[in-house]
Amino acid sequence: MKRYANWQNSIAAIVLVFLVSASALAGDSIRLPDYQQVELDNGITLILLEKSDVPLVSFSAAVRGGLVSEPADKNGVASLLAELLQKGAGERDAVQFAEAVAAVGGRFNVSANSEFIGLNGEFMSRDSDLMISLLADVLLRPRMDAAEFQKIKTRAIQGIAAMKDADARGLIGTYAEAFVFGKHPYARSSTGSEASLARVSYEDAKNYAASNLVADRLLLVVAGDFKAKAMRKRIEKALGGWKAAGTAIAPLEAAPRVPGGRVLLVDKPGATQTYFWIGNVGVSRSDPDAVAIELVNTLFGGRFTSMLNTALRIESGLTYGARSNLAMRSQPGSVSIASYTATETTIEAVDLALEQLGKVRESGFDAASLQSGKTYRQGTYPMGFETASDLAGQILTLKFYGLPDSKVNDYSSDMDAVTSEKAKQVIARIYPPREEMVFVFIGDSQKIKDLVGVYGEITLMSITDSDWVPGDK
Amino acid sequence: MDRFLPWLFLMLFAASANAADSLAGSESIESRTLENGLKVIVWPDQDIPNLAWYHWVRAGARNEYPGITGLSHFFEHMMFNGTSKRKPGEFDRIMEANGGANNAYTSSDVTVYTDWVPRSALELNFDLESDRFQNLAFVEEVVNSERGVVYSERRSSVDNQSFRKLHEQVNATAFIAHPYQFPVIGWPSDIENWKMEDLQQYFQTYYAPNNTTLVIVGAVEPKQVFELAEEYFGPISAQPAPEPVRTVEPKQVGQRRLVMHDAAQAPVLAVAFHIPQANHPDTPALSLAMDVLGEGTSSRLHQRLVEQEQLAVGVFSFKDEGFDPGLAWFFVMLPPGGDTQRAEDVLFEELGKVASEAVQASELEKARNIQMANFWRKLATIDGKADLLGTYEVFHGDFNKMLDVPEQLAGVSLEDIKTISSTVFTRSNSTVGVLIPAANEQEAGE
Repeated sequence: MKRYANWQNSIAAIVLVFLVSASALAGDSIRLPDYQQVELDNGITLILLEKSDVPLVSFSAAVRGGLVSEPADKNGVASLLAELLQKGAGERDAVQFAEAVAAVGGRFNVSANSEFIGLNGEFMSRDSDLMISLLADVLLRPRMDAAEFQKIKTRAIQGIAAMKDADARGLIGTYAEAFVFGKHPYARSSTGSEASLARVSYEDAKNYAASNLVADRLLLVVAGDFKAKAMRKRIEKALGGWKAAGTAIAPLEAAPRVPGGRVLLVDKPGATQTYFWIGNVGVSRSDPDAVAIELVNTLFGGRFTSMLNTALRIESGLTYGARSNLAMRSQPGSVSIASYTATETTIEAVDLALEQLGKVRESGFDAASLQSGKTYRQGTYPMGFETASDLAGQILTLKFYGLPDSKVNDYSSDMDAVTSEKAKQVIARIYPPREEMVFVFIGDSQKIKDLVGVYGEITLMSITDSDWVPGDK
Repeated sequence: MDRFLPWLFLMLFAASANAADSLAGSESIESRTLENGLKVIVWPDQDIPNLAWYHWVRAGARNEYPGITGLSHFFEHMMFNGTSKRKPGEFDRIMEANGGANNAYTSSDVTVYTDWVPRSALELNFDLESDRFQNLAFVEEVVNSERGVVYSERRSSVDNQSFRKLHEQVNATAFIAHPYQFPVIGWPSDIENWKMEDLQQYFQTYYAPNNTTLVIVGAVEPKQVFELAEEYFGPISAQPAPEPVRTVEPKQVGQRRLVMHDAAQAPVLAVAFHIPQANHPDTPALSLAMDVLGEGTSSRLHQRLVEQEQLAVGVFSFKDEGFDPGLAWFFVMLPPGGDTQRAEDVLFEELGKVASEAVQASELEKARNIQMANFWRKLATIDGKADLLGTYEVFHGDFNKMLDVPEQLAGVSLEDIKTISSTVFTRSNSTVGVLIPAANEQEAGE
C-alpha cells in the first residue's frame, strides 16, 4: 500500500526516484492510503487501514463528548473517568490490566479532550486479539471500582499542586481559556481544578460513563499489520453488542469574542520569569479558510523564523520562544500569542509582541514570505503520515470533524492556491487588534502588578488558589 | 519499507541470530569516512519523501571546566547565528523556505544537530550545514543577545521547575571530580562571563570533521550522499584529536545527602546511583532492572509508592548513557505535605529487594518486551533510525552494534539483574536530595 501516489506508485517509480532531477521533486505531495469505512449496526464508525511494513497494530479512537459533556460544575469528571477506565475492566483488575498491556510491550492510553474521550494503543501484531479485547473491556465492561476512583481523585488533586511547581508554559493556556470562555464549555480544563475535582463524586463518574460511553458516539480507526476482513469480524464480535444512545449530542454554540482590555494576573511569588498570553476567541476546525489560516499562523508565530520568534528571540534575546497558537475545535477555540521573559523585561517583551501584532495586521506578508511558508508546510507535512499510528490519528481527526480526505490529498495544491489577498483577509479576521485582546500573566505580582495595568483592568489571583478562575478559594 | 524490519521482528522469536541474518538486515546501510575523518552513515528509506539528518559532535558538558560551564550548549545556539557567508538567522530562513525544519540538543556527552527536510533540499542542506561547520561567525553583539536567550531557557527549564532544580543540585553533589557534575545549561555566572576566545577555541577543537559523525536516513541514494559529503565537507580540515577527559570519578564511599528549599507546594525526593558507561557489558541488564522497577504503572515502584501506599503522586526513573560512568535516577513526586522520609525508606526497600532476591521471570520478560517494542517503534520512522544509528556509532563505537540489541536483551538472565542491582543500588553508592517546600520549612524544623 502506498501513501505517496505521485511517486513510488510502482516498482518502476522507485527507480525513477534516482533519475528525476531534484527541482522536479520539490512539490512532493501525499495521499491517504486506501482504507475501509463501515458503520456497524449499533452506530460505531469503524475504519480499517492495512499497513504491513512493520508488525505493529495501532488504534486511535474517539468517543464524542469529552469535557463538553461534563456537568457545568463537575469539570474533571471526564479525566477522572479516562483514568478510571484503565483501572480494571472485564476479567482484569487494575494491576492485571496494566500487566496485560506492559507484558507484551503494548501501549494503551485513555485521555479526556475538549470534545471527546480519546483512546489510543499500539501493540505487536501478534497481540492484536489482546488489543481488541482490552479495548472492548474498557468500553463495555469497565470495573468502575469505587476505591480506585477515590485514589485517582486524590492523586489528581495533588498532581495539580505539582504542576503548579513546574514550568508555567503548561498552565497559562488553562488559566487563559478559563478566563476568556467563562461559562462556555471550552473554558473547562482537561484536568479540572483542585476545587472542581473535589466536587466530583463516584456517582458523578458513573453517571457520566452511563450517558457518554455509548456505541453510536465511537469513531474507531485501526491501522497496521493485519487483514482487514478478519479484523472487521473480530471488532464486530467484540463491540457489536454495545448499546447505542440513539440521541445525538446537542450541538455546541460558538462562543462570542469577549471584550478586550482585561488583565488576569496569576501571582507566583518568587518567580524569576513572567509568562504571558494575549488572545481571544479564534476560529473553528472546519473554517473554509483553514489552509490559509494555517499558512498565516505559521508565518506569524508557528515556526522558528516566524515574526514573533524573530522579534522576541532571534533579534532581541528576550525569550527562549514566542508563538501564536490556534485551538481549532468544532467551534472557534482560542487564538493567542504566548511567550515568557525575565520578570524585569515583562513590558518590553509584551510591547514587542503587540508591535508584531500591529505590523501583521497592517502589512501582512510579502510574496516571498508567503511562498516560504507554503514550501515549509508542504515540506514538513509528510512527516505526520509516516507510521500506522500517525495515519490512524490523521484519519480520526478528519472523520471527527467531518472533513473530506481531500484535506490531505489536496493539501499541497490547496496551499499553493492561497493568494496574498486571501492571506490578508484571514489575518484581519483571525487576529484581534490590540484593544480587543485579553491579557493573562503568571509571575511575581509584587514586581509586575503596577506595570501590567497599562494593558487593562487587572483581576488578581494566586497560583495557589484552588480554581483556574479568581474568587473560588 | 525495507527488508531490515521484518528481519528484526523474526529475531524477537529466534534469538539465535547468525552472521548471515545480520548481513541481510544491514545491507542497505552504507558508510564512508572522508579523508578529513568525517564518517557519513546512510540508510536509504523511501517511505516518505523526506530525510532525517543527524550530525553528532563529540562535545558536551563533560568537555567543560569551571568558567566555561554551559559553553557546549551555548555553542549549539551559536551554530544558528551566522557565518562569514550568511547573516544571523539566514540558516533557518533558508531551510524553512525550502521545506525543512531543524532542531539541536546538547547533553553532557554530545551536541547533535538535527534537520528534517524534503528530499528536494538534500544538496541545499549540505550547503547550509557545511557552511556553519566551516565558516561560523563570532560577533560580539550576537553572542550577547544569545546569552539572553540561554538565560531565558535556564529560567524556564531549571529555575522555575522545582524538580529540575533538584536534579541540578543532586547531580552536582553526586560527582566530586568528574565534569558530569556541570549542568548542561551552565552555571549562571559562567553564562554571563565566558569569553569570545573560549568560543573560538572550542569551535576549532570540537567541531573538526574528525570529531563528528553524520547520519542521514530517508529518501536518498547513498552514492549521491557520499558525493555531496565529499564536495561540501571534504574541504574542511581535520584537527588534532581533542584532549581526552582524563578524570575518573573516584568510588563513592558513603551516602551523600542534600536538602533544598524552594517556593514550591509539593516535596520531591531524588535519588541517584553511580552506574557504568553506556558501552559497558552490564548496561542491558541494568536497563532491564530499571524497567522492572520503574517503567509504567505495573512497575514495582509505581505499584508500591503510588497505588498501594499512596505516598506519591508519581515516580519516574531514567539513567544516563554516556561515554563515562553516569547516574541512575529515581524521582518521587510527593503530594503537598507528603512524607519524604517514608518515601525514601520504601524506595530503598524496593531497590534492596531487586538486589537480594531474583525478580520474577515474567517481570524480566515484560521489561524485555517493552524495550523491544520501543526499539521497534524507533525503527518505524526515519527520525528514530537516524537517532539509533548515531547513538550506536558514537557511544558504542559501531552503528552495526544496533543490530545486536535483540540478542543482548535476550541474553540477560535473572541472575544478571540481581548482580548488577546489588552492585548499584546500595546506600553508600547513593546521593539523596530532598526538596522541601518553603511553606513547610517550619514543620521541617528549619
